[in-house]
Amino acid sequence: MSATTGVSLDVVRELRAVCGEDHVVDTPEQLKGCSSNICSDPAVAIWPGSAEEVVAVLQLAGRKGLGIIPAGGRTQPVFGENQQPYAVLCTSRLTEVEHYDHADLTVGVGAGMTVAQLNAMVSADHLVFAPDPRLPERCTIGGLLATAGQGPLRHGYGGVRDFCIGVRFVTGDGRRAKGGGRVVKNVAGYDLMKLLIGSYGTLAVITSASFKLFPAPRQTRTFLAEFASATEALQFRDLIMRSPLAPMCLELVSPGAGKLMRPETTSDAWVMCVRASGSDAVLARYRKELGSAITREMDGEDEVKLWRGIQDFPINAEDWQDNARIHWLSLVVSTVSVVVPPADVHSVIEIVMRAAVPEVYGAAVVGRVGIGHVLAYLWIMNDEAPSDPSARVIDELGTRLSPLANISRSGARSPWALPPAQLMSMRAVKRALDPNNVLRGREIF
Amino acid sequence: MRIPAVVDQLRKIAGRDAVLDRPEDLMLYEYDAGVRKCTPAAVVFPQNTEHVSQIMRLASSAGFPVVARGAGTGLSGGSISPEGGVVLAFARMNRILEVDAENMRAVVQPGVVNQTLSDNVAHLGLYFAPDPSSQKACTIGGNVAENSGGPHTLASGVTVNHVTGMTVVLPSGEVVRFGGKAAECSGYDLTGFFVGSEGTVGIVTEIIVKLLRRPERVATLLAIFETIDDGARTVSAITAAGITPAALEMLDGWTLRAVEAACHAGYPLDAGAVLLIELDGLAEQVEEQAEAVREVCLQQKAREVRRAKDEAERALLWKGRKNAFAALGRLAPSYYSQDGVVPRTRIPAVLQFIEGVAKKYGLRIGNIFHAGDGNLHPLILFDPRDPKQLELVQQAGRDILEYCVSVGGSITGEHGVGLEKRDLMPLLFTDEDLDVMLSLRNAFNAAGVLNPGKLFPTTRMCAETRGPSSNPVLIREGM
Repeated sequence: MSATTGVSLDVVRELRAVCGEDHVVDTPEQLKGCSSNICSDPAVAIWPGSAEEVVAVLQLAGRKGLGIIPAGGRTQPVFGENQQPYAVLCTSRLTEVEHYDHADLTVGVGAGMTVAQLNAMVSADHLVFAPDPRLPERCTIGGLLATAGQGPLRHGYGGVRDFCIGVRFVTGDGRRAKGGGRVVKNVAGYDLMKLLIGSYGTLAVITSASFKLFPAPRQTRTFLAEFASATEALQFRDLIMRSPLAPMCLELVSPGAGKLMRPETTSDAWVMCVRASGSDAVLARYRKELGSAITREMDGEDEVKLWRGIQDFPINAEDWQDNARIHWLSLVVSTVSVVVPPADVHSVIEIVMRAAVPEVYGAAVVGRVGIGHVLAYLWIMNDEAPSDPSARVIDELGTRLSPLANISRSGARSPWALPPAQLMSMRAVKRALDPNNVLRGREIF
Repeated sequence: MRIPAVVDQLRKIAGRDAVLDRPEDLMLYEYDAGVRKCTPAAVVFPQNTEHVSQIMRLASSAGFPVVARGAGTGLSGGSISPEGGVVLAFARMNRILEVDAENMRAVVQPGVVNQTLSDNVAHLGLYFAPDPSSQKACTIGGNVAENSGGPHTLASGVTVNHVTGMTVVLPSGEVVRFGGKAAECSGYDLTGFFVGSEGTVGIVTEIIVKLLRRPERVATLLAIFETIDDGARTVSAITAAGITPAALEMLDGWTLRAVEAACHAGYPLDAGAVLLIELDGLAEQVEEQAEAVREVCLQQKAREVRRAKDEAERALLWKGRKNAFAALGRLAPSYYSQDGVVPRTRIPAVLQFIEGVAKKYGLRIGNIFHAGDGNLHPLILFDPRDPKQLELVQQAGRDILEYCVSVGGSITGEHGVGLEKRDLMPLLFTDEDLDVMLSLRNAFNAAGVLNPGKLFPTTRMCAETRGPSSNPVLIREGM
């Protein structure tokens, strides 16, 4: 038994035999960099270099009773408690390009490739990989799929479930398998992509995946409209949704979120950010339809900066790299993500903003309001404030909204703050793919 | 259990007039739009989820197979019952339960006809995007089971992209609800998993679907080519120009002449191939794209690019495309339709291969396909009264699908695996892939009561699970 980790030295030796000496670490010093949002204290960290090695690791883990937590770029804001002992399986060596033909608008890459690397590769051919999760320089393809990650482009392009066309993976019991394929239309066999997307690494370790790509827009423009209240802003959203316009992004930024993004801002406005692509004539049409509500237009670097701020909110890449988050972030007690039917967005914002108490709690909201996704941030403004206000927010959301609403909260042990309604069926799926509960990184059941 | 006893039980559940068991009635349920046949022991018409639940409890305890059926328009044999099975027909569960225009959702029963939903929400400026060629007859329940596509799924996606929730009856009779009206719901995406599962893991009794806003402008172009190669090359040239049309369909010259004779849609009789290209969206964008597409087509040697002048002309062009399968019925007693997919850059090569297959087997093969997404529908004409012809046709179909897989494609893009392609699954999937899928099927349907004998190769079903081979079936009196 290793004195420091609680994992048998034999197990570590066997893991090294599978992945190589340099790709398994188990001392506290070496593991320091592996502590993350996903796992606080891994006993051992492994970097398999191929799907075959992932198979061997999972089969070994099953035999030895070792828990495995797959990890990509560790960009998710959800914390969890883990049962010991467990190993973190890092996918960063799985970066192979399996197929890419720009004329087919499809690509297949290893789970460890980052979203930014993939976009850099395809942008040379004027294509775009549409998912724009937070911190794309760190967020991996595997992590994006496992957490059903998304960003502002979700509004115009759809979610990753809409354009993941194939997935290769290793089940919790060490079977190497695939679903889908490399072509954009394919109904052969079960749609295992859907099952693994958003399963938080509890069913299988994703080793690679294939996607549809899109032609990159030739030019974009962002139109900003400011409102005194969320109610007025959402009325504007409704007008857009009923119009012929089809923006790439439609994002609502609360006054608090605006100030956090740009501390020099003094405005108390709710800002609706509408991003459009197309020719001059198309953009002129947007200008005409959006009318006098538009207070500002952005393009070029300013536009890129705005959307990167929204995409990464509340973190930005530089802060992350310095490992020193901005001051207010250290006081954030909860991040609440809520996906509801668009008509319920107003209720969600009301509930979140009621949690804001001057000088006690702060609340900020960024919302993909066209599709019903609201991200809320709650933080403590003075040291004497009672602890976490988010529990009350979650309770109220649970009471007011459909029990099927997708609500998650940082700090929770499960990715879903409200228990999913279909737990029995989920258990059946879990038993089918991970009967020995090797992949137990999230406490779902 | 003997048939009369089961029929009695089914009548107690669904009503006296809701069960068919006379041979002359059952004949109508022994086939779909494909080439296979098998007569069920009985057909029952449930009227609500509770009926389905009670029927599944009965089936699980008595051990007879149950096969869900919409309109029977499928092309893979997915809704054909094994001998002695009971068909669960959804003709009486055909209500639109709710239209939520604010959230752009509808809640429907599985027997709602695809086109009916779009017709019912048209006054709100909305529509349901998946549009299989059979949309005037096929049901949304069937679309969900097969994850159906259609010409306009190129830009809008297939059925799974338009379903956000469902009510499902499991083989045990348990009723479960997955998803909801929200774009994403908590928990595993079982809604997504159940779409396209071909009735093998549960029976869907309510479906929450997305509705889309009708586009401001639609432009429908007909690009006419002297050769099929020129048409095929144009497909990837359009994509390379950064344009994703709403639909991009191709018909070869031989097929379009049959279509024209049947439908008088305005297709040219002397062309080698045509592309039917539709663009939709904001008026300014559609006009720019229409011009760009016209230029690409002309660069790729299109003889002429016509644009539908009005909605009537557009409807006529689509009528021709959507009735193309039926039109070929004028040329032969039957046809065998394939559903392979290739990467779209391989379309010229696969068309040459199909031509070679036609020569090799001495068969006539027409080509109609969703060119934009590389989904081919070669139609192999034959006379089913000649068993040798059917054998040749099936071998030709297999050759084509093997080729599709060899260039990175798939054996089915929208018709499903069903009975027809179950033994071709090993072309695409390894034993371990199929083993994982089978373990998921068994998580919900271990006894194989639901739609046995579909989707999985027969060799695996016999060897590794309690599948149809060991499943008790209903016994007719006197057998």
